[in-house]
Formats: sequence, C-alpha cells, structure tokens
Amino acid sequence: MFPYILRRVWQMVPTLLGVILLIFFLFKFFGGDPVEIMAGLKASPERIASLRAQLGLDKSVWEQLWVFVQQIFSFNWGKSWSTNEAVSDIFASRLPATLTIMVPILVLEVVLAIAAGLAVAYVRGSLTDRAIMIISTVALSISFLVYIIVGQFLFGFVLGWFPVQGWSNSVWTNLAIYAPLPVFLAVLVSLAPQTRLYRSFFLDEIGQDYVRTARAKGVSENAILLKHVLRNAMIPILTNVATGLPGVFIGSFLIEVFFSIPGLGREIVTAVNRSDYPVIQAATVYLAALTMVINLITDVLYKFVDPRVSLK
Amino acid sequence: MSTETLQDLPRSPGVWAQAWARLKNDRVGMVSLAVTVFFIGLVVLAQLGWVAKDWQKEVGTPFAAPHWVGKISDGSQTAVVDSIAGPNLDISDVDPLASRYKEWAERAAQFKATTIQKSDTLPLGGDQLGRDVLSKAIKGAQVSITVGLAAALAATLIGTVLGAIGGYFGGRVGDFLEWVYNVFTAIPYILLVFALAAVLKSGPLANTLGSGAWTVVIILSLVGWTGIYRLVRSEYMKHRSREYVRAAEAIGASHASRMFTHILPNISHVVLVQLSLHVVGFIKAEVILSFLGLGVPIDMVSWGTMLSEAQTELVQGKWWQLVAATVFMASFVTAFALLTDALRDALDPKLR
Amino acid sequence: MTPLISVQDLRVSFRMSKTQTVDAVRGISFDVPANSTVALVGESGSGKSVSAMSIVRLLPENALLADSSKVIYQGRDLLHDSQEEMRRLRGKDISVVFQEPMSSLNPVFTVGDQIAEVLRIHLNLSARQAQVRTLDLMNEVGIADAKQRLKSYPHELSGGQQQRVMIAMAIACEPKLLIADEPTTALDVTVQRQIMDLLASLQERQQMSILFISHDLGLVGEIADHVVVMRSGEVREAGTVEHIFNAPSDAYTQALLACRPRLDTRPRRLPVIDDIVNGRAMLTEQRVAAPLSSAALIEVKGLRKDYQLKEGLFKRSVFSAVKHADFALHKGRTLGVVGESGSGKTTLGMMLTRLTDASAGSIMFEGLDLAKLNAAQMRVYRSRIQIIFQNPYASLNPRFTVGQILTEPMRIHSIGKDEDERARLALSLLGKVGLTREDFGKYPHEFSGGQRQRIAIARCLSMRPEIIVCDESVSALDVSVQATVLNLLLDLQEEFGLTYLFISHDLAVVKYMADEILVMNQGEIVERGSAEDIYARPQHPYTQQLLGAIPRGLAAFV
Repeated sequence: MFPYILRRVWQMVPTLLGVILLIFFLFKFFGGDPVEIMAGLKASPERIASLRAQLGLDKSVWEQLWVFVQQIFSFNWGKSWSTNEAVSDIFASRLPATLTIMVPILVLEVVLAIAAGLAVAYVRGSLTDRAIMIISTVALSISFLVYIIVGQFLFGFVLGWFPVQGWSNSVWTNLAIYAPLPVFLAVLVSLAPQTRLYRSFFLDEIGQDYVRTARAKGVSENAILLKHVLRNAMIPILTNVATGLPGVFIGSFLIEVFFSIPGLGREIVTAVNRSDYPVIQAATVYLAALTMVINLITDVLYKFVDPRVSLK
Repeated sequence: MSTETLQDLPRSPGVWAQAWARLKNDRVGMVSLAVTVFFIGLVVLAQLGWVAKDWQKEVGTPFAAPHWVGKISDGSQTAVVDSIAGPNLDISDVDPLASRYKEWAERAAQFKATTIQKSDTLPLGGDQLGRDVLSKAIKGAQVSITVGLAAALAATLIGTVLGAIGGYFGGRVGDFLEWVYNVFTAIPYILLVFALAAVLKSGPLANTLGSGAWTVVIILSLVGWTGIYRLVRSEYMKHRSREYVRAAEAIGASHASRMFTHILPNISHVVLVQLSLHVVGFIKAEVILSFLGLGVPIDMVSWGTMLSEAQTELVQGKWWQLVAATVFMASFVTAFALLTDALRDALDPKLR
Repeated sequence: MTPLISVQDLRVSFRMSKTQTVDAVRGISFDVPANSTVALVGESGSGKSVSAMSIVRLLPENALLADSSKVIYQGRDLLHDSQEEMRRLRGKDISVVFQEPMSSLNPVFTVGDQIAEVLRIHLNLSARQAQVRTLDLMNEVGIADAKQRLKSYPHELSGGQQQRVMIAMAIACEPKLLIADEPTTALDVTVQRQIMDLLASLQERQQMSILFISHDLGLVGEIADHVVVMRSGEVREAGTVEHIFNAPSDAYTQALLACRPRLDTRPRRLPVIDDIVNGRAMLTEQRVAAPLSSAALIEVKGLRKDYQLKEGLFKRSVFSAVKHADFALHKGRTLGVVGESGSGKTTLGMMLTRLTDASAGSIMFEGLDLAKLNAAQMRVYRSRIQIIFQNPYASLNPRFTVGQILTEPMRIHSIGKDEDERARLALSLLGKVGLTREDFGKYPHEFSGGQRQRIAIARCLSMRPEIIVCDESVSALDVSVQATVLNLLLDLQEEFGLTYLFISHDLAVVKYMADEILVMNQGEIVERGSAEDIYARPQHPYTQQLLGAIPRGLAAFV
C-alpha cells in the first residue's frame, strides 16, 4: 500500500506544477494590471511605482513565478486586494460556514439518491418509472435560480417558516434555524439528476450475469437488489461521491449569495466581481491540491469496495 | 466483365437514415424535435432582427401587467407623480441660464419628438422599466441558446480532436494530453469558471471581447472540453484495438484514414449525444453566470438577467418576468433533453 | 416411468420493439427422465438455451410464453407456478450452471460466501454449518487448497476453477436436475475434459439428472444418454445417444455429424448441410496437398515477442508471449499452428503480418527481412501477406458497406483504374465467395457470421495476396457454417495457389486443413511434423495431452 501511495504522490507533482503554472500565467498575461486594479486609474506615478515594488512586479517573470511558488508552499498567500485581510484568514473564517451547509447536503443527497434510485430501479419499466423520468426531466430544465427564488419567497417570505437570510455564530443555531431552508432547496434540486444517475448505476448492475446466477440460486428479488446489486453499485457511487467532494469545500456559491451566508463560495464570487486576484489564485491552487488528495484517498478506498482492484 | 457503373448498384440505408426512421416512430421524440425547431426558428429570427428587436424600448408602464391579468389599478404602476397645478415659480433673477431658455426653446421646436404611448398591459407583462417581457424572453432565448450552442460546439470540437489524438496514439502524446487533462480537472469546475471570468473581465482581452457574449462562450468551452475528451479518448482506445481497425492496418490504411474514415463514424453518435447534453448544461451555466453579472454584458438580455431582476420583483408581487423566463427556458431545455434521449435511443436501440 | 421433467408444446417469443416479436421456440416437447443425462444440441439461434431457461423461468424481461406451453415437474406446471414457488425451487430442486463463469460470479463477494449463500437460503443452515458444508463441496468438485480458496474472490481463480465453483453452488442442495448451459464452451480443451469428467462423476454419485446444452455433438456423445437435436426453434430429432449417432434419420442431424472434420479421414471437401439435405453423396476422395517445393516462400528464424510489465514502484518484469519460433512456409501449402489460449499462436500470426512488431528474429521474404522494414516500406508488402481474423462480428467496419470494404484496399494499392472498375472487381470477388450483387450495398449487420467471414475473405482477395494468415478464422462459426468456409478456403487455395498459416485451438480442424503442423505451448513450439505424424505418433507430452482431450463422441463414432 505504502509504495502505491508514494508513487501516486510522485505522480501528483507534475499536475500540481501544471496547475500552478496555468494559474500564474493565466492571471499574469490575461489578467488586468494589478496596479491599475488596486490603485485605480487616476493614481499618481509615485503611487504606482511604490505599489509595483510592494507587489514585486518590478522583478522578472521567473522571479515572480518563484515567489508565487514559495507563497503556495509556505501557506502565505498574501493579502486581499480589496479588504487587505490576509487570504489565509479569509479562508479559515469562511470555511466553517460552508461546511455547515455542504456536509448535510452531501450526506442527504447520497442517502436520498440511493433510496430513490433503488425504488425506481425496483419498478423499472413500469408506467411509474416512465412518469418519474419525465417529471425529473422537466424538473431539471428549470434553473436552480428559480427554485431558490421561489423557495425563498414561499417558505421564507410568505409562509415565514424559515428566515429568508441570516447566519449566527453558533453551529447549532445555524444547523437548526438558518441552514434548513438552503439545505432543503439544494437537496430538492439535486434529487432529480442524482436519482437518474443512481438509477442507471442500479440498472447496469441488474443487467449483469451474476444477478441471473443469484436468481438461479433462488435468491429473492429484494435480497438481489439490497445485497448483490447495491454492493456492486457502491463502486460507481463511491466515484460519484468523490467527484462531488471538492465541491463541498467551495460550497454552493449561489446558496451562499442568496442566503447571505458568509462562506467560501460567496467570498470567491465577491472576489471575482472585485478582481481580487490573490483570493482567487490561492483558492484555485489550494482546491486543486485538495482535489488531488481526495482522488488519492478515493483510489485507496476502492480497494475496500472493489476486490478486483489491486494497488501496485 | 460487364460495364456496370457504381451508380447502378443498390445501396442499403445507412446509420443516420435508419436512426431517422426510428425517430419518426417516437412520438415524444418528434414533439420535442418540433419544439426545438420552433425555438431555433425564433433564435434565427431574433438574430436577424425581425423579432424582438426593440426589446429595450420602454413600451409599457413600469410593471405593466400581462394582458390576461388586466390593468392593475392600485396605483403601484404609476411612476409618474401627479404634477402640481399652477405656474412655475419665477426664478430668472438667480437662474444663470435664464437668458438662454428662449433660444433653446426655439431650437428644440425644430426637432420632432415622438412620445411613445405607454400601454398599461403587455402580452406577457412588463418589467420595472416597462420593457416588454415577451420581447425580452425571445431575445433572451436568442442569447442563451446561441451561447449554449456555440460553447457546446467549441467544447466538442476541442474535446473530440484531443481525445482522438490522445486515445489513438497513446505514448508520449497521449501522456502529455493526459497531463493537460489532469491539470484542468484538478481545478474544480466552478473555480475555473470564476478564475477565467475574473481574468477576462478586467484583463486586456476584456476590451476586445467586451461587447458581446463571447467571453461566456470562451469560458464555458475552455472548461467543458474535458468531459468530451475523456469519453472520446476512451472510445478511441477501445476501437483502435478492435479487429476492423487492425484489418484496416493490415490492408495498409494510413493513421489519418484509420482515425477519421474508420473510427470516427463509429463513435459519431456518442459525440452527438455529448454535444446535446452539453448544450443543455451550458445554457443553464450561462443563465447562472449572467445572473451573477459575470455573463453577458449589461446591454444584452439573457434569461439569467431576467431572473436576477425577477428576484426583487417577486417581493413586490410582480411575478410575470420570473414566469416568462422560467417557462421559456424550461420549455426549450425539456424539449431538447427529451430530444437528446430520443436521439440516443434512435441511434442505438440496444441502449436502454 | 414418469419422467422427471416433461416439456410440452413450449413456445417462446421475444418482444423486440412495440411492433415486432421474434419467435425463438416454436412448440417443442421433450422429456428428461430421472437419473439420466439429456443433451440439448443445436447451433446458434436454435433455441436450445431459451428452452432450458424456460424450465426455471429465467428468461429475459421481454420474453413471452404461450399459455398452451407446459413444463410438468412432480405433478405441477412450472410455467404457471407463482414467483415465490419458483424461487424456492431454483437452487434446490433445479439448479443451473452457466457458460461464462467469470461474469456469472459476483465479483465483490468471496467464492465461499457465494456457495454458502445457496445453502443458507434453502437449507436454513447457520453460518458455521454453511461454511463446513461449503468446504466439503469445494473438495468434492476438485478445488485444490479449498480452505484457502474459501476467502478468494472470483477474479483470483482460473476459468476452470471458477466453473468448479459454479458447479459446487449448483449441487449444494442436491438438486434433482442440473441444467448445464454450454458449461465448457469458454474453457480450454484440456480444462474442458476435466469439467466433463467431473460432471459425469457427480451425476452418478448424486443420482441426479443433467440437461446438457451444447453445440458440440462430439462432446455431447460422451456423457449423454438421450439427445434432442434442435434447429430454428424446433426439434429435428430426439432419441437415445446410440440411435442419434449410429442411425440418425433426420437430414440435419446427419449433416451435423458429418460436417465436423474427422481425425481419420481427409476428404477433398467437407460435406455441408446443403449436400446432405439434398442427398448428394459425400466425397471420399482424399485431398492431396500441393507438392513441396525446395525453396521456402517465407522463412522465419528466432522470432520472439516480449512485453514489459510494471511491478511495484520501480521493478519491471518481462513476459514472453513467443519465446522462440523457427518455421517456413511453402507455396501452395498450409502450415497449421495449434495450441490453447496463452500459447502465443495468435501473436505469431500478428508478427508475420507486422500488426505486432517482433522483439527479435527475422522474417525472410524474397531476400528481404520483413521484420526490419519501416511502415512505408512495409505498405508495399502488405498486399501480399493478409490476415483473416477470428471474430466476424468485429473485423468489418459496421459503418462501411460491403462495397466500400472491398474497394478500399484496391484504392490503397492502386488496383483498378477508376471507381467503376473497382466496383466491378468487387462484384466478381463477391461471386467468388458465394455472395450476390445485391450484397454490394448492404451493411455488415445484415449478414450472418459465416457470410461476414466470406466478406473478410473477399477483402483479402481484393489485393491478390500470396500468403494468408487464418487466425482462428472459423472458431466463432457454427459447425455447419465452418464446413462451408473451410471448403471455400480450399477452393481458393487451389485456384490461386495461396499459402496459408492456419492458426486454431481446434485440433480436428487443423488436422483437416494443414499439411504440416506446429504445436505451441506457452510461447514455444513443442513439436512439429506432418499432420499424419502428429496425430498418429505424438512425441511431446503436451501434444499427447491435447490429443487425449479431444471429445470423441460415442466411442464407436470416431
């Protein structure tokens, strides 16, 4: 196992370097002039020069790249151009809110999708199946925005069951009062596509030869679905969860913007609107690294889920 | 030997002809096709300027109601304040411009001014500025659908070409492309979109691309090619060791011939389905980006901008823009998604 | 004596789309007596598998059974039993062994668990008891190291071992009837022999009945008591195994028996169904090989193919598919290569046609070493050495019409001065391989396996080659179709003076076609000689093992 992990980490290096290079050169050559952004268009030449020196822009491209790389590996990501807050502080303070929303969403999504997917797979081919497929196609065609707008309006404004917006400092208050509406809306929206996806996982397995063998042995349809099929479907389900995991850390920026939740997603949207480069760059590179780590952990987990996988 | 020519010989229907025949029997598929064609027709008309050209004109009173709802007379429509009766106060002794009024009045009389009679109800209602929601919805359809289509085509082109090369040749070239793929996919989708949006918004390119929705097309295609690349690559890897390709090698066909004459027709149905799926995804993405202000510029309308206006309007009880945008978008996307499913079934009936 | 199972007027059809149904079984009846083996024999599309699966109602979801059909077991009609009653029957009274053991076993559970599962469902054993019984079963079916193997996963076992596990699961509850659906078709010949012996001994020990489904009449002759011959959903003939083999009355049965190449005789052409149905006399004149010329057409020396495998972090190991091969091809004659899977025989053919590059060795042709040519130089020679692949369903581009398939090579090698002439040439080729003018514009999926193989042969001929590598070219075809394709290959060899490298795992076919034979095992040529010598006086133990594994049908048959 250990040599495998070592080899994988070794293989991640070129990719991480590629990400760093991509982000650096993207912002350097296609992005706006940082000085112009920070100082505004009417700054005096002295101000511009001092800013340049401050930001290290008077050095050569390669030196700047080296500084960038150093910053990344020393976890010192500079300061936000708009608020002058240290970027690391921004991340640290925003992450908890994001996680408070996203973790329940992920858990509920997966659990409900498995249940719904199994149920639909059970009635496959019937009229119910067709009807559900059509309903979910229509549901999918309506933008997420509409669900949030209407949901917020209906449940918050009109019915008053939940606050329309807001956040507090205590995790428990958040979970109990402020999180339910956004979590509910997000899970509702993901239900249609996730159910379709999980349904296809289950149906793929049901069509396999080993299911025919199980029937020939006299295993009941329920046991086939819940024991044989579900266990095999865990493989694609694990892939699906792992793919969605990095998203948990960015958070659903739409939800955070709509519900005024001080999370990482909203922070990034704001940074984009304000051309706050350090925040965006740091977020991108770190989340890329996080994604690679998650992929590695997933691949190791495959060994437990799929005995055919051999880690060499 | 006879002197027959190639033309004389009979020929069976090919894959596309057969798929079309199958599609014709699928009622849901044909209805979806009809709806999609209708929308595309609208888009073309809007592009040519024959329809919804004057969407920016404020033809109605603010928040004009839809025709069937009827004029709202609770006073919330009128933004015009009743003027106070009586002559204006004479302030010519302190007014520095007083001497020039007469001159300007004469000059102004030489121009013809048209005042649009603002209607109280519009077909689907009006927005806050009194613009016709129906026109906006159609124009928005044009923008959102064209962006979705263009981005999907670009992403498919990039993904297919790279996937073909990477999957067919493997080796160093394949490894390099895999590295590029890994780099792009290591960055979470949304973040990459945001990073590109930030860069294209304020960078040097912003000036060249500024007037138009091209930034969105570029962003979406640069982020969206990866899925298609993966699929096309795995298909090419699968097919290159299939016996009909080896047979082609055995008779002496070149690499290019094998890649594009032999293999590509066998996976074109996969690519087509991917293209359609991406159109839907990109339309939804454009809507969200425009909503956040990162999509189309302010002087254009898309379903996304309509929804962003709709948010505040809803609280004031004005729901028509929300409904119009949602219904238009849902109709097209549902029809297109169902069409994609029908197409997939028609192309390969074994896939259920 | 009432039979164990009585199938009466079975009719099964499949719904293909909203408007189309296809009839698979058109009203067949047969009995399975207790404590005996009944063989259901037929080629692809005969409906034999569907008939057997109907007994336990394990048909696909789009299958339709006629109301008049009955399957009587212990006084009840299985086709009209409830789902729950059928479920209790399956695995306990009647069990099934399928063709592909790798995909038929659940990949995520251990084999021990899968065998124990059937015990616990039907016999209500506790986990402990089930494990003990599982161990017994695994020993009974001949799995070595049974105790370790309990915890193995299916992918860790060989094909033969996997099939033994399937058999263990099937006999666990001591069923009255075991349905074996082509259980050995996916296995090597030597392993096939072991499994057949196992089934025969189990049948005796457990006093159960076996319904054995196969396309191979020779195989079936060894263990069956009764034989039912099916074609296109109908029973053509049924009777005791002696009757079927010694005195078949139906033309199709006679054809099935006669079409297989026999080991003791070598007629000029094999009899085909068409001949027998129309009562034509079989040719007894023995085939004479082309004279052996002194100079070889192609001489291969020291051919070798190595693959690099990564192991661990830095280690690399080398796997040799072909270790060392020397042989020569003479004009107008056929060199046969025989071996099981993994012997390297296919790699040999691939190297000869430069579809795989050899790691070492030389291929001398007209004074040039073909192994050393680059792609552009090789292109010229490609037209002269061609290959016919095994899988007729995969070797033709599904998107090309037959006309396009045939004219493409002509275009590449500048044969024919324009498209029209090439089309005419293609038509004449079609005629040569027994197809018609109408077939020019059709797509591969409109043809059967045998017809597709003919198109592949026509494609080779379009380039007027001198040497053709036949890589398992008839292995995927039905017996009756094999004979027609083999006859075609012989006709063409005579007419054009072609030289063949004939590769196959089927010993009888290779002996019929080849003048000299190479026997390969694990990358090495272990024996070579004339066809007669190899079969009459095999020297190497592996050759002897191979010959011993050939199914001999009823002893008096071969």
